[in-house]
Parts: sequence; structure tokens; C-alpha cells
Amino acid sequence: MEKKPLLEVKNLKTYFYTEDGIVKAVDGVDFEVYPGETLGIVGESGSGKSVTSLSIMRLLDPNGEIIEGSQIIFEGKNLLELSDDEMRKIRGNDIAMIFQEPMVALNPVFTIGEQIMEAILLHQDVSKTEARKMAIEMLQKVGIPEPEKRIDEYPHELSGGMRQRAMIAMALSCRPKLLIADEPTTALDVTIQAQILELMKELQKEYGMAIILITHDVGVIAENADRVVVMYGGMVMETANVRELFKEMRHPYTWGLLNSLPRLDIEQERLYNIPGIVPDPLHFPPGCRFNTRCEFADEKCRKEIPPLYEVNKEHFSRCFYYQKVEEAQKLKKAGESA
Amino acid sequence: MTAYIIRRLLLLPLILFGVTLIIFSFTQILGPEKLLSAYVNPNVFDKLSNEELDKLIEKYGLNEPMWTRYFKWLGGVLRGDLGWSVTAKQPVAQAIKERIPYTIELALYAIIPVIGVGIWLGVAAAVNRDKFLDHFIRIFAIIGWSLPDFVFGLIVLMIFYSALGWFPPGTMSAWAEEIVKSPEFKRFTHILSIDALLNGRLDIFWDALRHLIGPILTISWLWWAYLLRITRSSMLEVLGKEYVRTARAKGVPEKDVIHKHARKNAMIPVVTVAGAMVIGLLAGTVIVEVIFNRIGMGRFTAQAATQLDYAAVLGSVLFYSTVLIIGNLIIDILYAALDPRIRLG
Amino acid sequence: MNTELKRTLRKLFKNPSAILGFSLLTFFIIVAIFAPLISPPINPMFPDENGNPMKLDNPYIMPILSWSSDPVPPSKDHPFGMIAGRDILYGVVWGTRTAFKIGLIVVTASTFFGIIIGSIAGYFGGWVDEVLMRITDVFLSIPFLLAAMVLTTILGSGLDKVMIAMIIFGWMATARLIRANILQVKEEQFVLAAKALGIKNYIIILRHILPNTIFPVLVQATMRLGSLVITAAALSFLGLGAPIGYADWGSMLNYTRNYILGASGQALAYWYTVFYPGIAMVLFVLAWNLVGDALRDVFDPKLK
Repeated sequence: MEKKPLLEVKNLKTYFYTEDGIVKAVDGVDFEVYPGETLGIVGESGSGKSVTSLSIMRLLDPNGEIIEGSQIIFEGKNLLELSDDEMRKIRGNDIAMIFQEPMVALNPVFTIGEQIMEAILLHQDVSKTEARKMAIEMLQKVGIPEPEKRIDEYPHELSGGMRQRAMIAMALSCRPKLLIADEPTTALDVTIQAQILELMKELQKEYGMAIILITHDVGVIAENADRVVVMYGGMVMETANVRELFKEMRHPYTWGLLNSLPRLDIEQERLYNIPGIVPDPLHFPPGCRFNTRCEFADEKCRKEIPPLYEVNKEHFSRCFYYQKVEEAQKLKKAGESA
Repeated sequence: MTAYIIRRLLLLPLILFGVTLIIFSFTQILGPEKLLSAYVNPNVFDKLSNEELDKLIEKYGLNEPMWTRYFKWLGGVLRGDLGWSVTAKQPVAQAIKERIPYTIELALYAIIPVIGVGIWLGVAAAVNRDKFLDHFIRIFAIIGWSLPDFVFGLIVLMIFYSALGWFPPGTMSAWAEEIVKSPEFKRFTHILSIDALLNGRLDIFWDALRHLIGPILTISWLWWAYLLRITRSSMLEVLGKEYVRTARAKGVPEKDVIHKHARKNAMIPVVTVAGAMVIGLLAGTVIVEVIFNRIGMGRFTAQAATQLDYAAVLGSVLFYSTVLIIGNLIIDILYAALDPRIRLG
Repeated sequence: MNTELKRTLRKLFKNPSAILGFSLLTFFIIVAIFAPLISPPINPMFPDENGNPMKLDNPYIMPILSWSSDPVPPSKDHPFGMIAGRDILYGVVWGTRTAFKIGLIVVTASTFFGIIIGSIAGYFGGWVDEVLMRITDVFLSIPFLLAAMVLTTILGSGLDKVMIAMIIFGWMATARLIRANILQVKEEQFVLAAKALGIKNYIIILRHILPNTIFPVLVQATMRLGSLVITAAALSFLGLGAPIGYADWGSMLNYTRNYILGASGQALAYWYTVFYPGIAMVLFVLAWNLVGDALRDVFDPKLK
């Protein structure tokens, strides 16, 4: 099935110019998002996943720059070539975004209603009364009880889960084609996390929008994403559809990441942790960025950056030794079943 | 909200009670003879013999314990009698009543441009961070913030009066004073520049303004710098907040991001420091009225203090403290109005 | 800690306004220390038996070097000019010492009282806190300049009276800050633990609470110093502080007021009489403001 992608990110490089030097937060990232699907981007903090999303929105801090040669193509238009005003019309209307901390992401001095209505009035040709009606509808849709009353409340008067619902209502009020959710549930309690993710799934079905779900939580990815991009050190390490990735990961980093998940099927003394720490983005090691923490790394990995190998159909891995990873997995599985 | 305001206003007399008690007890360091000047025009008592003086001290109970005298004074205050001012040669209440409009005129003309332009420049500096405008505004702010008002006032006088002859010291020119004192000049508000307009006397209005510009410049310079600095740093902090990014992510135009989403939040800390500004402006009126030789509460207070005119001092303290307390109350109300997270009560 | 300190220092010395502040302050400290060398406290008008100039008993009283009271423009012997027969440079140099004296004494004493009152209020809480804070409110309800002005005259004018008055009305901000900090620290685990162990109150205050609250107080004290020097100078300017002829910037400016209108035909003829004491004062205050600002950024970004 050959679908046309909604969003294509090509060779995206985003650098930050800091006092201590250049931080290559995103360093040559490629991926596509197809209409209606959920693409999960997973990685530890500092992997560049959030910067990727902000680059798509062109909402980087002033010291950040998207390097020449990067392309972000949305519905056939390169977003990086649009004027500020054209980009502004896309934000919130075609591409919407929700953030990690609903407390700090909502403006404390405006009511929920004012903030939702603002988005509606910006992108749709409706009157204030209509906008208010639409905002109440939206609040109802995201499961906020008594929306007529809640609409006039300030963010601090809502609970964390309610705030994130309001945030989603705001993001979806203009029926975007793409929703970028940056760690949408990280700040919430576990039970509320599940509710919010469930809500996002339902709304996705209803509106048919695509979602980029950014998280460090592999569990969230497993349950919500269709395809997955694994990022590390500002680069894509592996990308595949979610089933294949979890069964047949072909990158040592992915393997480590998935191994750190608690498993119910076997007895575990303690959870696995990837040895070492995430490298300082100012001083990435030469060669493969994962080489400092990788069991398979050798001289070659410390010299050259591996290319993305197509290990299977629509399954890519940035590892010279993806075959070794496969063998090692087979051995391990055999050991477990024995 | 209303209950809170009423409670704070009810607290006002209590605080004023404390304030006057402090000043009153300090005045007890002065002997009874100095205190007598609050009741008797010293022109009269200079000619008196020692026995007659003692009699007067007796008559006004200046040998009585402090508390008795304090409550006597307080009784007078409640009847509207604040004693006799030696320096003004008139009752303190009358002297204050005559001088308040001049100080209010000065303070109002100073504070309105300070707030408007100070905040505007502060926002502009933050938005253009590290660009030319920002550096320029910051240097201006740093100099202003360290330039004492009396030094600046002298410079203003030297340049705009001595050298250029534009803005003379004083309250108004002699010819204007003659007209203002004549019966056909109606005093509607007792604020000179406004009354001049209401009387249709543009020449007097212009004359009043000419005398006001120097003092306004002097008094507001420091507070421009102060407000600008606070606004700039507060604005910079707010512009880095996530909700500003949320607004941009919604597609809000940059103009609204700054002037609506960011500025309203940035104003919250600005309002909290405005208390210092009210105190500073009040103190500023003292210095400025002295330097520019203007009629007003400030010069009256300074003269009263230097001449140990203690009834006038107590009266002035009463005035300044009342303004300060009410000013702070207004600031608290503004604060609550700006920040929905604050509940007054 | 060590690397953090290094980072902090590096940050401090990368900031141009912090560098400017510290250099200006160092400059003033040097001037204050070497005042006797820069402007020797002697009066050549009155030589002793050996023909040497008379030594001044009190170097802060500016020597009268000529009988003409009119300002004399800057010259080789008197680079800042003269006023009232006195050398302006002498007044500016020794005035630096006066400024340091006023600033440091008033800030130290008022901060000390503020710490004591704030600690008592914050630590004991209850009615003690209530009473002390209401007293603080009352003191805060009198404009500082006005309060200092009134008390100074009642005490009888003079620089020492100015300082006493400023101390009496200068402790409230510190008291409030200390109290707020103590209320916050009181809830911290280590203080609760110390309490649970039955450690005496005053030991808890001295050992656990004050060290945690002292940095903001120091920053605040630095930032107040500049404005205190301005207020003292303003009082001298109003004729309540140092007498005419005393090496004090404020009283020099007070005297200068008589000359700002200039000579006939030359409006700015006496510019130097305002300029030198004025610029000394502006730079002194600027130095403290910049240093205070830099310290605030380093130690407590939240304190504004």
C-alpha cells in the first residue's frame, strides 16, 4: 500500500549556539508521518526528540537554528520556506501541539475558555458567541464535567488531569491534521495517564488526525503508536512499525531500552539498565553516538557513523552489526525458553 | 474583595495611630519649651518672660506625661485641629490643605508618564534583547537608577534654567500669581494647571507647565529607570515560559504573544515593586520641591522638620503615611486583579 | 560545590556590568584607603614654627585654603576647582571615606537589628510574630526619607544623628526577609529532624536556619547600601546631616546650590562645583547597585 505522507522530515539538523559551544541537538533526522497514524518518537532526555517537535513547529528558542539543507515537508510545502505569517496560520490550525506540564503550558492569567476561544477565533471565521459554544463543546468532548462552568475557570482551579484535557481541547479545537504530543502524560498520575491516552486515541479516530507521540516511556509507545522512531544523541537509531520493533529490534540501543521495561512473562531479579550515561551533547563521541554504552561496539563504531540499514521492509537500523544483534537475541530467547 | 478593602481601610486609623505615636514619642526628646511652639505663635512668646512661659507650658499641659498629651493631640486631630505651624505661620490643617493640591499635581504629572513610558520601554527592551535598543535602554536605566534626584535636579536647573532659560524654578511667575490670587480666577480643583484651563487662561496654563517640567523630569527620571528595569527582567522571564510557547503553538501573532500573553504575566512582579515606587515618589516630592522652590507638602515638611516645627511635622507625617498606606492598598488590589491565583482576604 | 563555585565565579566575571561594578568599588576602596596620600590632611595657609604646613586635627573638616568664597575653576593645584576656599578634590576624596562609613555602619547595624527581629518573629511565630510584624507595618508606613529627616532634627542634626535615624528606620526589609525565609526553612526536613531530636531552639536558629537564609540577606544589604548613601546625602543636602565644610558629598552639593545659576553671562561657569561631588556619588551608588545586582543573579535568582 503506497500512501502519501502527511509530513516528511528530511535531514533535519537543529543546532543551539550556547556559551559553551554548539549543541547539535538534532543532527540529521529523517522520518515520515502518514495521515491518521500515530508515530511514536522515543528516547531518553537529551536525545533530541523534543527539539525535533519544536523544529517542526518552528518554535525554537532564539539561540537555536535549523541548519540549511533541512526539510520539513507538510502536505507538499516545505515549512522551513514559509514566511512567519504563513507558518503562524499553520500552527494551531493544521498542526497543533500539547506539552508535558499542563500547569506551566497554560497561561495562568487567562481562563480556560479565553485560551480555547483564542485558538478558534484565530483560525476560524466565527463570532465570539459561536466560539464560546464551540469551546464548551470541545471541553465536553475531552471529558470535562460541567463545561459551561469550567470554561470560566482559571488553570490553577483545575486538577492536573483536567488541565491536560483542557490543553487537548485547545489543541484540537481547530481540528488539526497533525497533533504533536510532547510527553503528554509524563507529569500525570498513572491512572490519569491511561485516561488521557485513551482520550487521545478516541479523538484521533473521530477526527482522523495523525499524532506524533513523543515520550521516554516505552510502555506508552507500545500501547499507542503504530510506528516508532528511536532517537539517541540527536539521530534516528532505529525505525520500524511497533510490533516488529518490539519483537525484532535490530539496534543495541533499542534492545537496551526495551530490556529496561518490566516484564511479566519471566521472573526478573531487577530491571536492566543501559550502562553509562547519555553523552554530553557538546561532546558527542566520534563515530556511532551510542558507542560509549554499547556492548557490540568496536573500533569501526568509534570511527564512523553507521548509515541507516534497511534491515527489513520499512525497518531501518543505524548499526553496523544489526545482524549480530539479531543473533544475540535469538540466543537469549533460546536461553529463556530453555 | 470589597470586604478585604473595607478591612484594610479600617486598619488605616490603627496604623496611623501607631505611626503618630512613634513620631510623637520621638518628639518628647525635645523639651517642653520647644514643644510650646506647636500651640503659641512664637512671635508672641519670644517677648514673654520666663514666668509667663512657664505659665503657658502649664496651660498646655506640656509637663504632663506623654500619654496624656498624645491623647490630647489626638483629640485635636479628631476635631480637625492639628496645632499651629511656626514655619507656615498658620494652623497646620490649613497649611496642609493649601499645599496638598500642588504636590498632587506634581506627583500625578510625574507618575503617569513613568508608568506608561516605563513599561512600554521595558517591554521594548525585552523583546529586542541584546539589540541596539535594548543596550541603549539599559544604559539609560543603569544611569538613572544610580543618579540621586537631588543631583539630577541640580543638573536640570543648571541646563534648563541657567543655560537655556526654559524652565524656571518656583511655582508660577509673578504676573500669573497676581491673576491667580485675584477673585476672577476661579479655583475649581485647586490644581493650578487644570484650573488655568478651566478658566480659559492658556497663558497661565503654559506658565504652570513651564514650572512643572523641571520637577517632573527630576522626580520621574529615577522611577523610569526603575520601572523599566523591572519590566524588562520580568518580561524576559515570562517570555521564556512554556505558556508563551503554547500561545505561539496556537498560532497567536507575535504582537499578541508579547502584549497580551506575556505582558499581563510580566506585570505581576512589576505591580509588587510599585509599592517602593509610591514611597520613593513621595520622598521625591520633598527633595524636588526644595530644589525647585515649589509650594507643596514636600517643602513644607522639609521646612517644618529643619525648624523643629513639630506640630507641622506630625501633620505631614499623617498626610504622607495616609497616602502611602492607601497607595499600597491600591497596589494590592491591582495585584489581585492581575493575578487570578491571588485571593485577597 | 567547588566546580559550582567556579562556574558561578566565571559567570560573575563574564558579565560586563558585574565587572564594571567590582572595578568601580575597588577604585573607591583604594581612594578611601589612600586618602591621606592623595589629599594630605594639612593646611599650608597655617605653617607651624618650622614652616611646615599645619596638620589637621580632624581630616574630615576640609581645610580653608583661601579667603575668597567664590568658586575657583580647576587648575593645576586644584584639579577639581575650589569652592568656599576649599579644595573640591579634597572633599571628594575624603568624602569617599564618609560614604563608606555611612553605608557600612548603617547597613550593618540595621541588618543586624533586622535579623534579630525577623528571627524572633519567624521562629517563635504566634502572638510574638503578630506583634512584631504589626510594628514592622507601622514603621514601614512612614516614608523612609521623611522618618529619617524628622528623627535627625529631633536628635539635633549631624552625620551621627543621620546614621542613628537611618538605622532606627532601616531594619524592616531585612526583618521581613529573614522572617519569610525562616518560615520556609522551618518546614524543611533537617530542621524538623533537629527539633525531633530535642535540640534547643536557639541552637537550631544559629546552626540550621541562619546559614540557610544569610545569602539573600547579604544580597539585600548590598543592594540597600547604595540607596542608604543617597538618603544620607539627601539629608545633608537638606542641611540636616554633615555641616558645611565637612568632607561629605551631600553637604558639598548643598553648598553648591548657591552657585548653580552661574556667573553673569556664563550660565555654566561653575559646573565643576556640581559635577565632581555629583559624579563621585553617582559612581559610588552605581558600583554598589551593580555589585548587588550581580550577587543577586548569582546567589538567588528569585530575589528581586
